[in-house]
Amino acid sequence: MKEKLNRFHIGIFIYMIELDVTVFSLPRLVAENFGTNGWLGLLALSLVAFANIGLIHFVYRLGKGRSIFQIIETALPKWCAYPLYVLLAGFWLSVGAFIGKDFILIFQMLAFQSTDSMLIFFMYCLMAYFLLIKDLYSIMKAVTLFFILTTALNGLFPFFFQEWKLIRLTTSFFQDAQPGGHSLYGMAEMYTVFVGYELCMLMFPYVNEKSKLFQGVYFGQLFTVFLQQLFVWVSFGFFSFPELKVLSYPLIHTLEYVEFPFINRMENLIFPFFLFSNLLSTVFFSFASMLCLRRIFPQARPKLIEFFLILGVFLLGYIPKILRQSELLVRHSYFIEIGIAIVLPLLLLLFIKVGQWRQKEVKV
Amino acid sequence: MMFRLGKLLLRLLSAPRSPTSSGAPPARTDQPEPTLAHILKEFDKCMDVSHRRFASLGMDVVYLSYLVGNEELYRDIIQPFSKASEREAAVILDNPPYAEAKDATACVDGILAGRAAIFFRDKTYLVKIDTSTGRSIEQSESETVISGPHDGFVENMEQNLSVLRRRIKSSHLKTIELPVGEISRSNVVLVYLEGIANDELVQMLIERIRSVEIDSIMDASMFVQLIDENPDSVFPQFLTTERPDAVASKILGGRIAGFVDGSPSVFCTPTSFFDFFSSPDDYYQRWLLGTSLRVLRLFGFLITICFTAFYVSITTFHYEMIPHTMLLNLTESRSRVPFPPLIEALLMEGTIELLREAGARLPTKIGQTIGIVGGIVIGQAAVQAGFTSNILIIAVATSAIASFVIPSYIMSASLRLIRFGLIILAGILGNLGLIMGIGFVMIHLAGITNLGTSYLTPLAPFNFGDVLDTFVRGPFWALRKRPSIVKTKNKVRTKMRK
Repeated sequence: MKEKLNRFHIGIFIYMIELDVTVFSLPRLVAENFGTNGWLGLLALSLVAFANIGLIHFVYRLGKGRSIFQIIETALPKWCAYPLYVLLAGFWLSVGAFIGKDFILIFQMLAFQSTDSMLIFFMYCLMAYFLLIKDLYSIMKAVTLFFILTTALNGLFPFFFQEWKLIRLTTSFFQDAQPGGHSLYGMAEMYTVFVGYELCMLMFPYVNEKSKLFQGVYFGQLFTVFLQQLFVWVSFGFFSFPELKVLSYPLIHTLEYVEFPFINRMENLIFPFFLFSNLLSTVFFSFASMLCLRRIFPQARPKLIEFFLILGVFLLGYIPKILRQSELLVRHSYFIEIGIAIVLPLLLLLFIKVGQWRQKEVKV
Repeated sequence: MMFRLGKLLLRLLSAPRSPTSSGAPPARTDQPEPTLAHILKEFDKCMDVSHRRFASLGMDVVYLSYLVGNEELYRDIIQPFSKASEREAAVILDNPPYAEAKDATACVDGILAGRAAIFFRDKTYLVKIDTSTGRSIEQSESETVISGPHDGFVENMEQNLSVLRRRIKSSHLKTIELPVGEISRSNVVLVYLEGIANDELVQMLIERIRSVEIDSIMDASMFVQLIDENPDSVFPQFLTTERPDAVASKILGGRIAGFVDGSPSVFCTPTSFFDFFSSPDDYYQRWLLGTSLRVLRLFGFLITICFTAFYVSITTFHYEMIPHTMLLNLTESRSRVPFPPLIEALLMEGTIELLREAGARLPTKIGQTIGIVGGIVIGQAAVQAGFTSNILIIAVATSAIASFVIPSYIMSASLRLIRFGLIILAGILGNLGLIMGIGFVMIHLAGITNLGTSYLTPLAPFNFGDVLDTFVRGPFWALRKRPSIVKTKNKVRTKMRK
């Protein structure tokens, strides 16, 4: 009774992997880089993400469902492919580690100023390990639960209705951006909020025709864009525009306004729920890394690679010591990841063509 | 040394594998004849073995006197054979209920199961003359309902099966008997509806039961631990119940039920985590009331695992979360307590668990007294002595009460254990620790399967249809389909076959 992933799983996987630390500062990034009514710019930028997914979809169709490793190995000899796998594995592992450490440092800043961040990060890594040693279907079951928990937080939106003013969105478009906004760097910085969908490339072997992989990917991306728009709209109508540009994490600041008669400062309780989405980003980047290494060491003992990977995540967590460092690391590694998201499918298309030519030559 | 190693290697290579290692029982190729001498030797030094001789017929009867009923003995042995001729005896023995025993093992097993072995003209026959002892059908003490049937299963499996047969009058109700226990030779009977239960799951369960290697089994709750997929998990993976109506509804829903010799509990599979939160009562009341009870139980589930941990978290790390009006009372109450909240909570939770365990082990009347002494006297004295804060007493007591709204005692006990873990994590990392603890539990739950099906159905994989009969109790017109977890081909409840 081997279960296959379905489009629902894929959809929530895309949503959860994209909902990471970048979302906390999303409204500020939009204000800085696009200016007033920047949500429209974010919407336009999401079209690029959809186009990128279209490119990956094309690879899936042309590759007839083969895994990216099979595609690479039809064109490249193993001695050439394996270093590429090692590079990808190392990079993806670092991305996962930096996301996790960044989240922990943000949390430390909010609630545990005197606690060693590595102690909290150790617990985080422990959770990541217990998830990573499971099969993908079980991971997806955990993803479903985490998705329900994090999505339920959106039920807090009505709390902001009273303070939300349409007038704060202003009537001007793309004005008052920060110096350096409206630039390629600024766009790339904005685009980091979409990073994660490209990992659907690694899901090819885990789906079949019935799974409708790309329906799930498109749906997941659409849902993410919808919620990102919601976050941005709430923040733009809740805070004034100049205020928005100076708040480090507008999303967390909005949570501070949620109060119940029996409990105050709800952000202390709500914010930890974002642990799950960040944890899943770490786990899926580590999973991608694991797939690369498993390709090189197919006979490795179960859980051994996973153990060393999470150990690697933990050790990489020592690199960023302060929040500024970790944010920079996340941003720069995401820039590289954006490059991978575009270049890797193009390379795969090339490899598929090379493979087809070779097959033709063999037939002749 | 090398010589020894070589010998060992040679032995490993040449010796045939023991058939028991693969889980299958050893093949019996050279069975001894079921002769009187052999059987008497087998039951040597058994004071309860009876040997009766009908000299005129040359017939011997052997049985275990404590297992057989006098009435049955008279009806099937004494009356027919005391005045019969040899020819008449032969005719009687060739007809039911008398059956020939082919080998000595079958004969010994038969005697142990309460049959009489009749040795006549070089042949051995068995006839069932056992009597059922034990309590009669009565209400289950661990699973009480307010409305609905009040009968509960008992220790006698035949009686239990008859109760079930009376509820599901269908020839599709199949019963498969499987012996388990090398010494106890208990029987496990699997019951399912052919055409509704998934054949692959039935086969998987049969194979799993056949592969069990153990000397004896005492109860269904013990047996299921031998056949579940995650033996190290704190969560029960097979639903066990003492209620015939619950078992009947599970079977009708496409599940497989398992009866175990000598156990009033019956296990049902495949089971989801949320099945442990439903009670037959939900279906005997109006659907809105049933739904509100289910929601209440799920709320109780959250309270029982989180409430004390949340108290520890906010009083240790997040005082700012407490509203001003409550803060003064809490600070005043906590100011006299010498322990940090974590220790205070663990002490009180430990005390509550002691009280619960003491109440469960003592006779009912004394158990009630213990509850009063523990709950009121110790609780009150602990607050006055500055041993604990009264708000913690409220938190701990609420958590304990909430744990008892969960219909399954085994699940309730598991959740109580998890609560301790969450309290410790909350004491170390506050709200983050609490959320991390919940995350650990969820990750663990995500890995559990029951007969290959997801333990988290219908949440993961998500199934809206099943949600209507899990988190709410939908009206009967909406519950037209069988749960997806059973993987049945006959999805519509009103149809037997497609």
